[in-house]
Amino acid sequence: MKQQIEKLTASCLEQIKNAANRKELTDIKIGVLGKSGELTAILRNLKDLPAEQRPEAGKLVNEARERLESALSAKFEQLHDEEVAAKLASEKIDITIDKPHHDVGCLHPLNIVRNEIVDFFVTLGFIVTDSPEIETDYYNFEALNTPADHPARDVQDTFYINDHILLRSQTSTGQIRTMEKFKPPIKMISPGRVYRADDLDATHSPMFHQIEGLVVDKHITMCDLKGILDMFAQHFFDEKCKTRFRPSYFPFTEPSVEVDVSCNHCHGSGCRVCKGTGWIEILGAGMVNRNVLTNCNIDPDEYTGFAFGMGLERITNIIYNTDMRAIYENDIRFLKQFK
Amino acid sequence: MKVPILWLNDYVQVDDISVEELSDKLVGVGFEVEEIIYTGEGIENVVVGKILDIKKHPDANKLQICMVDVGKEITTIVTGADNISVGNLVPVALDGAKLPDGKEIHSAPLRGVMSYGMMCSGSELNIDDTIIEGAEVHGILILPNTFEIGVDIKDALGLNQYILDIAVTANRADCQSVYGIAREVGAVLGRKVKSPNFKYKIEPAAMTLPNVSVENFDLCPRYTARLITDVTIEQSPKWMCDRLKLAGLHPINNVVDITNFVLLEMGQPLHAFDLRQIDSEIRVRTAFENEKIVALDEKEYNLNTSMLVIADKSKPLAIAGVMGGQYSGIASDTTTVLLESAKFARGSVRATSRALGLRSDSSARYERGVDWSSIDAGRERALALFYQLKAGKIADVAAQCETKAPTPKTIVTSAKQISDLLGIEVKAPAITKILKSLGFTVTQSDKKLSVEVPLFREDVENYTDLTEEVIRYYGYDNIRSTFLENAKPTVGGLSQRQKNINTLKTLLCSYGLYEAATYSFINEKQYNQLKIEKDSALRQTIKIRNPLSVEYAVMRTQLVGSMLKAVYNNTSRKNNDFKLFEISKTFIPNELPLENLPRENETLCICLVGDNHNFYELKEIVSQLLAMFDVKYKIQYSARPYVHPGISAEILTDGGNIGYFGKLHPEVAENFSVPENTFVCEITLESFIDIKGREKHYTPLPKFPAVNRDLAFVVEDKYLVGDIIDEIKNAGGNRCSDISLFDIYKGSQIEDGFKSVAFSFKIQPENKTLTDEEIQEVVNRIIDAVQEKFNAKLRLQ
Repeated sequence: MKQQIEKLTASCLEQIKNAANRKELTDIKIGVLGKSGELTAILRNLKDLPAEQRPEAGKLVNEARERLESALSAKFEQLHDEEVAAKLASEKIDITIDKPHHDVGCLHPLNIVRNEIVDFFVTLGFIVTDSPEIETDYYNFEALNTPADHPARDVQDTFYINDHILLRSQTSTGQIRTMEKFKPPIKMISPGRVYRADDLDATHSPMFHQIEGLVVDKHITMCDLKGILDMFAQHFFDEKCKTRFRPSYFPFTEPSVEVDVSCNHCHGSGCRVCKGTGWIEILGAGMVNRNVLTNCNIDPDEYTGFAFGMGLERITNIIYNTDMRAIYENDIRFLKQFK
Repeated sequence: MKVPILWLNDYVQVDDISVEELSDKLVGVGFEVEEIIYTGEGIENVVVGKILDIKKHPDANKLQICMVDVGKEITTIVTGADNISVGNLVPVALDGAKLPDGKEIHSAPLRGVMSYGMMCSGSELNIDDTIIEGAEVHGILILPNTFEIGVDIKDALGLNQYILDIAVTANRADCQSVYGIAREVGAVLGRKVKSPNFKYKIEPAAMTLPNVSVENFDLCPRYTARLITDVTIEQSPKWMCDRLKLAGLHPINNVVDITNFVLLEMGQPLHAFDLRQIDSEIRVRTAFENEKIVALDEKEYNLNTSMLVIADKSKPLAIAGVMGGQYSGIASDTTTVLLESAKFARGSVRATSRALGLRSDSSARYERGVDWSSIDAGRERALALFYQLKAGKIADVAAQCETKAPTPKTIVTSAKQISDLLGIEVKAPAITKILKSLGFTVTQSDKKLSVEVPLFREDVENYTDLTEEVIRYYGYDNIRSTFLENAKPTVGGLSQRQKNINTLKTLLCSYGLYEAATYSFINEKQYNQLKIEKDSALRQTIKIRNPLSVEYAVMRTQLVGSMLKAVYNNTSRKNNDFKLFEISKTFIPNELPLENLPRENETLCICLVGDNHNFYELKEIVSQLLAMFDVKYKIQYSARPYVHPGISAEILTDGGNIGYFGKLHPEVAENFSVPENTFVCEITLESFIDIKGREKHYTPLPKFPAVNRDLAFVVEDKYLVGDIIDEIKNAGGNRCSDISLFDIYKGSQIEDGFKSVAFSFKIQPENKTLTDEEIQEVVNRIIDAVQEKFNAKLRLQ
């Protein structure tokens, strides 16, 4: 009996080991453990044994059964894994091939930069306003403390529609429109297109974009202007970026300054980008002129403010090293570089 | 403005500091130095030489061998020039010399004869006749015999000078002169500024001045005149010529040079009239309509009544502040000069100069503004120069005609007020010191500062102007960074419109479109290229009065023209497959000519180019973007002249037509030289771009599963799939949803002129599972309706 079981077990284990696939394994299983399997037959015959031998024999059968089942299950698993691996291997493709695909586009570099600037000021509590591109002389000049005979009008060659209507030459028009609409405290930026009679070259274009900024409240100081612009420069260029104020003149701010940032290419040692000066001019700014506040019915003795205006193309050119002509050419090879 | 260091040094000592340091200091107080010009730039080791002997070259007809005395030696130079003779003084570039164009000169044999340098022409030294007569002659520059042999050419020609090219801001009219800059330099260096020489002797004259009258004091607040007799016209002395040349002016003769010199030095435009040409009187009046004058530039100008002239009894003598008349100017035989020093209103000079297209150094200064005191200073300085140059006798007759002289303004402020604006504390003594150095008079009482503004500072009006004066000298480096310490918090953010536009752009980018940027002004001929009808509203464009060119002449009412130009920029460079979009404004006038501001409509333009793209791709993009904003619309074939009539659609909403999409008309493609397979879309965003986030409501999900059904029909080709779907929807009722075309077939099994169209749809039960009969009832309704309406045959169920 014992020998019979051991022989059977050994023979089955050998068969299991050599089984080539799950079908063979299933046949082996049925042949030994099935209803009419060999081990089942032995078990069924146990009742013919003397009663005292039955427990011993039962135990042997059960042990054999467990061994076989465990071997079967291990082999099943092994064969399963092999089959899956073989199937996956057979399905392998060349992943280096590029099939025609769905491309994703991107924003124009001007708007990538614009969004980044806008986002920065929005987080500081600035609203974002739009204002007309075709404007009256009043909003573009008069209200900005630039009356008809003012020499500053010559600095920018303005496109006119007629004597009173023009293409705005600066987004500063947005200052007036905002102050007419809202009362202090005001924090706003106003991006948009502006127009000046300059021929297209590497740094000029008859149409370009500016972003205007304005803060009006009680006790606003020039140090606040410096603080905001420092924070902007550090956020936008790099953490070590410094700003520098140089005295300048705009009719609608007093005092007025040109603002330079330390060159982000050479960090101040002087290079081609900053023309060896270590500084790059990025915007004009100043404290809002009292006449401008008065024109907008804001009491200049109670409120002060600052304003700034930057050229989007200029900043885009600094960051991406682009050129004004490329910006408006819309060559797809150019546009794809900003994805 | 060009400020020669030599000239500046006449008034404030600057020759002991480097020109770079001076430039930095000026930039620091608000005077941008655009360029530091060195007149001898690039010239090295070039000396004055004397030609001692000239021989023919033995082996070359066109070459000559010269023996040249260059001071320390006599050297051999071979030259091809033929304008030289023995005894001439010439510039000689010695071995190792450098010339402005970057060329280096080295000893080398020329056809076998060693040449130890090169004789130079004026152009090789980069100089012209303003530096020395003969510099523009073709050939070697022949120098005057007075030059010393062996001297460096830069010293000989005065080419060792520095000039600052300064951009003076529009508010600083007082700094448009050497003396004005000298005042600032004095303040920034803390040095004394010398007073100009105003000394002259007055001599009794036997004649009287013509009567001077001013018709309109608003246009000419002050006019003064002096007579100079016994004038001898001759060349100006070298020191004066040098200064004029360095500042960029040609010396002409002593009288003209004096007026130019004073203009540059004091900033006061002057005019010298030949007394012989003045008929009886001087009248400052507005011109008559169509009055004509030939100006000093020898051109005739047609004047009108808004322009101011200096006239005599019979004719205009000068366009006030702009340019003198040709015949009243100084001639070689002029003996008596009437010298004008006046103030003309800046707006009047500006308008006249613009209207006539005539600009001059004089008009440039008047436009910025000439102050009351400069009239006297300029005139007195000129008279002193007449005296100094012995150019004539200063007669004891003078005339002036003026309104009331202005009195200096006084601004009352305080150190606190100034400090509050700056955000840093600047103490009263520091403020006082700075303002005094700039010519202000400051008196302090209690905490108040009373500041008297000098007349030449017409730009200073209130305490903020004084604050600027203080901080530009106190130093902007002292401004700290603070972050709105006293301001109230505000809520910022984008407007709904701006957010929606950003969302829209994200969607378009995800469809593989790249954002383009094109100009808002266009060439009007685009409307012809687009075949737009003559009477179309699109042609109602706003025209720019002073366009740069026809390319940028009108404000666009459509974006597609500019987009097609961008397409051409690509396809002409063999970029043949791409998708672009732009969101920008179109400018729609309410009336023409424009009286009010026009509507500025935010508009989207899409363009797909290349053989890989088709109408349905564009349609998908359009339908997705309109769905995003919940726009309910219908489409119908477009009759727009610039799109293909069979492959394009108009987008109709309850609020009207909002745009179109489809294939470009082949003729338009040809007009713009772009590929025929170009698909365009334009949508006005105004009707939906301001909508807030949609009002969403949750509808409970159906408890019972929907049943899918397919139906295929054979219909005549003429019927549109969209119409059949509408009919299925209609017949199927509320329960029927998700109707879509899944196959369209024409071929062997289908009769010619017919097509098989197959649809799938869902039938959704409401509150119980549908029985087969109930389902079939809906399907039959649909079949019947489609068969009836489209004369369709059921092909498959």
